[in-house]
Amino acid sequence: MVDVQTIREIHSSARIAPDAKIGPYSVIGPEVIIGPGTVLGRRVTVMGNTTIGSGNVIGDGCVIGCTPQDMKYRGASTMLVIGHKNHIGPMVTIHIGTELGGYVTRIGDENILMGGCHIAHDCFVDNRTHIGRCVQLAGHILVQDGAVLEDMSGAHHFVTIGRYARVGQRTPVRRDVPPFTNFFSEDYGWTSPSVRGVHTAGIKAANLTREEQAELKRALSELFEDETALQTKIETLENMGVEGEAKALCEFCQLSLQGKFGRNRESYRGQVPPEAAAVLPAEKLAEIQRSMQ
Amino acid sequence: MAKVFQFQFSVVEKGAKIAPNVKIGPFCYIGPDVEIAAGCVLDSNVTIVGRTTVGKNNRFFPMSVIGAAFDGEEDKGRCIIGEGNSIREHVVIYSGTTRKPTRIGQDNLIMIACQVGSGATIGDHDIIANCTHISDDAVIEDYVRTSAFSFVDKKMRVGAYAFTAGYVQVTRDVPPYSMVQGSPFRVRGVNTHNLKACGFGEQDIRALKKVFRELFNGKGFADAEVLAALSKNRKTPQVVKVLLKALKNQGTKKG
Repeated sequence: MVDVQTIREIHSSARIAPDAKIGPYSVIGPEVIIGPGTVLGRRVTVMGNTTIGSGNVIGDGCVIGCTPQDMKYRGASTMLVIGHKNHIGPMVTIHIGTELGGYVTRIGDENILMGGCHIAHDCFVDNRTHIGRCVQLAGHILVQDGAVLEDMSGAHHFVTIGRYARVGQRTPVRRDVPPFTNFFSEDYGWTSPSVRGVHTAGIKAANLTREEQAELKRALSELFEDETALQTKIETLENMGVEGEAKALCEFCQLSLQGKFGRNRESYRGQVPPEAAAVLPAEKLAEIQRSMQ
Repeated sequence: MAKVFQFQFSVVEKGAKIAPNVKIGPFCYIGPDVEIAAGCVLDSNVTIVGRTTVGKNNRFFPMSVIGAAFDGEEDKGRCIIGEGNSIREHVVIYSGTTRKPTRIGQDNLIMIACQVGSGATIGDHDIIANCTHISDDAVIEDYVRTSAFSFVDKKMRVGAYAFTAGYVQVTRDVPPYSMVQGSPFRVRGVNTHNLKACGFGEQDIRALKKVFRELFNGKGFADAEVLAALSKNRKTPQVVKVLLKALKNQGTKKG
């Protein structure tokens, strides 16, 4: 009988915690770091400058840390950082960052990435999100805490999915999705998706106080009763004086309105986004910013 | 008797013709009727089976499957891949039928999880985005760009320089030079961005825009009367002639 330990290609320079488990037919590259308690399934490929934290479960057939599909990528050893306690389903693909996009792709903690989903270069997925089957995220996307993307939805470059928002199945997301909202189209053939109601499960999951919930729900119904005159409604609410989550909601919507095509992150084209600056080591950040001038 | 290659557990079956400088990563499987030309790179866990011919300088990313057959009979048809393509992770390219091989041209980027059906043809310089499903016998012409989740039905043709938006259902031919969106699709306009990038002049693009408005007017199909009237005019620019010919030859799937 062949020893399972031999049916894997783990580069000698990879740093793998002693209690991490790696299934057969897996391929682990030289710059990879895998933290304690992480379990990789069968045929998992981890390449590139990839750091995986502790307590993750990574399903069969995943390809993690591959080169971006972006034509602008020039082959640098850009990074992928995956946090702790994520549950990553089978056949998921996650790509490293690009030189012009901020150099790093990052997945936070306690996320659920279901089978077949794809996280492209320079994306930032925060914590406790739920990304459904076959969801395709293009580059430079920010998915904030608690967001839910249902099966087969797709998001355009530079979109921000707000906290605890929910994007319906098969929804093409081309502009920012405000926090705590449901975002889908009534017929998936032709009508553009829009905000349709409040993500009540998200509001519950966010663990807000009674008062915060009430204020947030009021703000949501004010802003999204219909999609007209959003700018005016935001200004009215802010003049009335809102705080906490409701204030954050107004600020989010304001930034999206000002953003090109309704995407606030479009302003980060050709720059290092703040999320990347927070992750990169100081010297690396300085070097990148010098090269971008 | 299987021949074991540089990595333990990579299998190249006897009869396969592999050029000397082809890089084959760990856990790949190459069937006995496969030919792979110089400069190709197979990352890891790549499966190439059936009667498949692969040209020079292709790169196969992990977990891609080439020459597969739905019914397990990979040797029924052929699969012919040109030069300089990037076949990304989880892509499945089916082997051809007895009548028609599956054919992929040059310099294409076939992104993650695409499915290229039996007997399909992909031309040159295409960018086929994530999860595009190209059904059996479909044809993608040159310089096409699809978006994620585009579904090209059987026997349909996507014209050259066209752009399909996300989640488009191609149930009739996509006219060349067009941008199409929706399910069923409508022609949103001329794919000016791609045409400019491919060196088309201002005059040609203006001529196409004018003709598009007359022919399609926001619908998914060309107005038959306008098409007939335009075809009678000898003085239309070459690009318009190409468009009109494609429209006359097109197929339409009903229902």
